[in-house]
Amino acid sequence: MSKASLDGKEITVEAAYAHAADILRDSTFPVVAGLGADIAGARAAILLAERLRGAFDHLAAHEILADLDVLRSFSMFSTTPNEARVRADCILFVGPGLTQLWPEMLTRLAPAASPKHGAQAGAPRHLFWIGAQANEAAGLGATLIDATPDGVADVLAQLRACIGERPVRQDAAELDKIVKLAQTLKAAHFSVVIWSASAGIDTLAIEMLQGVVADLNVTTRATGVPIGARSGAAGVTQAAGWMTGFPPRTGFGRGYPEHDSWRFDAKRLVESGEADAALWISSYDGEAPPWSRADVPLITLAPRGKEPGHGLYIEVGRPGVTHDAVEYAQDIGAMTLRKATAPSAEPDVSAVIHAIMAHLSEKTS
Amino acid sequence: MITVLRGGHIVDPATGRDGVGDVWFEDDRIIAPPISGKADVEMDVSGHVVMAGAIDIHSHIAGGNVNTARLLLPELHRAMRARLEGTPLSTAKWSTYETGRLYAQMGFTTVVEPAMAPHHALQTHLELNDVPIIDKGALTVLGNDAFLLEMLRKNEAQGAINDYVALTVAQTHSLGLKCINPGGCEGFKENMRAFGLDDVVPFYGVTSRQIFQTLQKATASVGVHHPLHLHMNNLGIAGNIQTALDTMDAAQGLPLHLAHVQFYAYGAEGKHGFSSASARFAEKINANPNISVDVGQVMFSDTVTISSDVLKQFNSMSGGIPRKGAIFDGDANGGGVVPYVYKISNYYNAVQWAAGLELFLLINNPEQVYFTTDHPNGGPFTAYPELFALLMSADRRAQVMARLPAEALEQTTLPSLTREYSLYEIAQMSRSGAAKLFGFKDRGQLGVNAIADIAVYKPSKDIAAMFRRAALVFKDGDLVVREGAVTHYRTGKTLHISPGFDKNIHRRLDGYYDELYGLPRTIFDVSEAALPKENRFSEVACRN
Repeated sequence: MSKASLDGKEITVEAAYAHAADILRDSTFPVVAGLGADIAGARAAILLAERLRGAFDHLAAHEILADLDVLRSFSMFSTTPNEARVRADCILFVGPGLTQLWPEMLTRLAPAASPKHGAQAGAPRHLFWIGAQANEAAGLGATLIDATPDGVADVLAQLRACIGERPVRQDAAELDKIVKLAQTLKAAHFSVVIWSASAGIDTLAIEMLQGVVADLNVTTRATGVPIGARSGAAGVTQAAGWMTGFPPRTGFGRGYPEHDSWRFDAKRLVESGEADAALWISSYDGEAPPWSRADVPLITLAPRGKEPGHGLYIEVGRPGVTHDAVEYAQDIGAMTLRKATAPSAEPDVSAVIHAIMAHLSEKTS
Repeated sequence: MITVLRGGHIVDPATGRDGVGDVWFEDDRIIAPPISGKADVEMDVSGHVVMAGAIDIHSHIAGGNVNTARLLLPELHRAMRARLEGTPLSTAKWSTYETGRLYAQMGFTTVVEPAMAPHHALQTHLELNDVPIIDKGALTVLGNDAFLLEMLRKNEAQGAINDYVALTVAQTHSLGLKCINPGGCEGFKENMRAFGLDDVVPFYGVTSRQIFQTLQKATASVGVHHPLHLHMNNLGIAGNIQTALDTMDAAQGLPLHLAHVQFYAYGAEGKHGFSSASARFAEKINANPNISVDVGQVMFSDTVTISSDVLKQFNSMSGGIPRKGAIFDGDANGGGVVPYVYKISNYYNAVQWAAGLELFLLINNPEQVYFTTDHPNGGPFTAYPELFALLMSADRRAQVMARLPAEALEQTTLPSLTREYSLYEIAQMSRSGAAKLFGFKDRGQLGVNAIADIAVYKPSKDIAAMFRRAALVFKDGDLVVREGAVTHYRTGKTLHISPGFDKNIHRRLDGYYDELYGLPRTIFDVSEAALPKENRFSEVACRN
């Protein structure tokens, strides 16, 4: 059985749905935020935001947009983990904490094994890591190039200069390793760079990384595998893309979607008071909203044990745990159906939103 | 409920009708006039043209590469007006919802997405599921996938390849096979920058020719109606007419569909070394009834090229407008997305535009040539009404030709062509022929028992206006468009076939995925449980 509460006091789920609809109906510009949901949940949430003429945002939009801003202002080369596994003769890891951000990474990429496809099949694989966390790369046999997250862009800039045979500062730290990396990448048949915006590297670093890849492709092949952000970010971005044309941080105030990564930032909307109600969805792990303001009416959809102290709370299941869920799988770089590992009866995000929407008629004018 | 549309000009090549008459339907099916002569609803459509709902055989409307294009180009699709009641997201430009609305408004009721990657099939189906009103289908892409290439390297029996093809089509829920620059995308991963019909795929030792011929045989053997849908090598390159002619010679007399052939109708004449070779192309098609083509007409517009021909797309990056793009090396083909602008003042674009129209006008049989723009590669599907107008009016063509660079016209035969398509020929191309091409027995026509997908157009001197805004459109007998505006959504079906195969192929593939990827193959499954519950697959029977 699901449960619901209002300011910490238990209420019936039916009462919660009706109350949620009241809050949303009475608001002028509600924001559907968090959006930590599977594809079905994201679809329902985006349709709700559209019906309400509100906005939608994802809790990891900053990381989503770091990659997307490079795509839409520069260019992007990418491949699948499978291709990296079977074809890469050089893998370059960029940034700290990648093994936590993608726990299956080393299993999936099998970096110690040789590539199986291409002219490079059977040859030893070259491994490099810029800015690894302490011990993270232990036993991997990778050449480690020290860098703080803030310093990654500089190392990549030096690398790009070396690849292009342009001058670099001769007193730069780790220069000998950077030169070796440049030579290895240029000689490799198929290099793959693994990175994550969630590792604290910014848009400029990611653009520099893609610049390295683009330059390498003039003479050989190189590409990359991005590690997506938390709470279903990659899948939600895909669903937002086909449903509205745009990623999260999109609003419907004028009756059609407009994307603006500053205007429709949920934290800014709530703290400025531009949004006068918020539906916060965090079904994976119950992460709390990032805003401090408590006087904006809040509806929280989160799993058991993540009930907030104030506002309206409706319990939801965890995607792929309590219910089957479609999500974007980092392991394959594609959508997949995750079967529930511990099936139980909590409603999923999609079911809860449909129940709330049943209380809302359309306002189109 | 019985409805009759009275007194329209019925244009229905499948039944040979081309004159004034009535169309009767009960609920979602066309019926013979009942003996009582009575209908629950009578609609006077006199003065209007009545056709079956149109079928688009090749339009990139869904899947990861299309979605990458959406995210790459937020500036290309700013929305600007609020939607009508009951049609959520219908004015969200380039969304799946808008796609369904725009097709329906033009009287289209079935659209085929031609490039579904097997490992991304679930996303393609999720997107198709969110295209309202119309029915959809997809073609599965093979030809750069390691399993097939390895079978060819080992010179395996055709039977084993047939099983693999049938399984892939069945499991991805598609209508057949597409093959995109066969071997060329694998070659690009091996750093090849050009790949022709007889180039050898490194590591596998097979040629493009062998790959497509094998898939052609497999398609014919396993009961797929649609001929192998081939995107040839050397797309867009001056002088590539030779590739096209050689490919047709290699077709073994078996059915073969060549996609967006305008992009292969190029000679290397003239001072720019780029000319139309459509006349030679059309002559070859007229002599080979086993070949069908869609044109991929260029329409002057701001657009984006989306293709699983990664090699070609990589080569296009430097000419992108604006200069950005996405290059994805997939598990098999992958995809590339490069924005582009076709300008009427640009010599090359003008030759492309003319070459496409020449193909339409020089290919004799309208059921051998289809009207695509390869949406969005040559232009958006919303340009079809204008394209139909160009085909139906030599005057309209002359008006546009007057604006083209004169030196471009010198490199084509278009100014000499006076043919004008009739409504009947438009209907052959967009209805009856398209249905035959996919083996649809109950769509693309108004015969008894056909699905009541009906488009009613108000004739106008402005032919494009007539096709842009249908007066009435019925989908499954439900009136969804009035005066060019969608009144409400319905959920369309996704059409697919289920060819049979020897189940032993399952075990073999399971072992292959486990050994190569260390993954269960089921991770890529398209199961009905994964799709929103309003989704409805609908099976089309295989060919006997």
